[in-house]
Amino acid sequence: MSEKEPSICEEKIYNELFRKYYEPVTKYIYYKCGNLHQAEDIVQNVFIKIWKLCATIIYSKAKSYIYSACNHSFLNEVAHEKVVLKHQKTVEEHTNYESPDFLIEVDEFRIKLKQAINMLNPKEREVFLLSRVEDKTYKEIAEITGLTVKAIERRMSKALRELRDLLGAHIKV
Amino acid sequence: MKNYDNDDTFLGRWIAGELSDEELIAFKKTETYKQFKLINRESQLLDGPDIDVEKALHDVKQKLKQNKPKTIRLWQTITVAAMLIIALGVFFNSSKTYTNAIGETQTIVLEDGSKVHLNANSSLSLKRFFWSNNKTVNLDGEAYFIVTKNNDFKVKTSKGIVKVLGTKFNIKDRSYFELKCYEGKVKFSQLSDASSSKILTQGMQIIIDDNLVEDVLFKEESPLWRKGVSKFDEQPLHLVLEELTQYFDITFDAHNINKNRLFSGSFNHNDLDLALKATLIPMGINYKIEKQTIILSE
Repeated sequence: MSEKEPSICEEKIYNELFRKYYEPVTKYIYYKCGNLHQAEDIVQNVFIKIWKLCATIIYSKAKSYIYSACNHSFLNEVAHEKVVLKHQKTVEEHTNYESPDFLIEVDEFRIKLKQAINMLNPKEREVFLLSRVEDKTYKEIAEITGLTVKAIERRMSKALRELRDLLGAHIKV
Repeated sequence: MKNYDNDDTFLGRWIAGELSDEELIAFKKTETYKQFKLINRESQLLDGPDIDVEKALHDVKQKLKQNKPKTIRLWQTITVAAMLIIALGVFFNSSKTYTNAIGETQTIVLEDGSKVHLNANSSLSLKRFFWSNNKTVNLDGEAYFIVTKNNDFKVKTSKGIVKVLGTKFNIKDRSYFELKCYEGKVKFSQLSDASSSKILTQGMQIIIDDNLVEDVLFKEESPLWRKGVSKFDEQPLHLVLEELTQYFDITFDAHNINKNRLFSGSFNHNDLDLALKATLIPMGINYKIEKQTIILSE
């Protein structure tokens, strides 16, 4: 017999779930809607619901419950806005390329990259950011979005092609 | 040769490191490889928004604290109040219905002393409480009303509203509508044309058949059905058959006869056998009784 599942109604377990999933889910919703305030609202409301329904949610299913509930409430609000991305603090170290590959200033290129990402179709943007910024594997993205790995490969490919179309002119080959 | 142009998963697989060696070598030779590589590298340097998880957890706990007792108490109050209102509403708005089965008649005496003689296979309904404030009754079927004087009394039927001021009248609301005034005055407003209303005095009647309104005069002093008799004067046979089914629990199979032939005559409500003989034989119609069904042929 398998061990009994921990109960989400226990505050300790609930806090643990919250600390584990709040950030990644919020980012996921943010990448979809581009409004951090809205994303936090959606996710917090889902967590409030989880506390109220704690007895009915199985611990091992919590992750998929959280993601799909957030996704659901997002779909009800639908408003895609631009995503604001920033650069990691470590960026400085990476900028010393042996030969400059850009036809424009690095900083300028980075601004253009962020703009280009925002020009992507939201469906591709979401997959692209989960993969590149959040370092999620396709399998993880598939679980989160409910898409197949194949579909994610396709969206990823499309996103990259579009980014190159938008930015290629600024990169020296 | 597969590449990013003709394979829509190519770049995706490249990112995931799932290209075959040949695919990768060929890809690296292309002019655009370097561009993709740069885009990929630069994208990986990006960061999402900063999120304060502990603050969010605190916020959620606060919301739960504020929310819980308030919503539940409010919710309970609302539910209880709503149920009470509905229950009271249902109670005071409830209506009383008198229903007669086939062949039954009954007399109802209303609060104000008015009498309603309800004919067979008919029903009368009225509000159980505060009826005197708005004296309205709903009639389905046939009834003879004797309303006390100086009385604002209304009868709603499927064809229209009959307004009364102390009078005796009979309403028959079956496959056709018939209103006869035996004493006093009634005002009839048709449902389909509320603006036009007619006033009937003693000996006047209105017949509505197929939306055709007809004014006729009559002579008898009280409805014949009160004496247990139905009488017809050149009326189509289907009305006669309908009338028979109001007093006797039977159905007719009238496939093989012409139901529009006119009948003049009468039948008594207390004997099925005699009633059938009185109506069908003069018309030259043969009948066969099978359980509750009377099969007719010419």
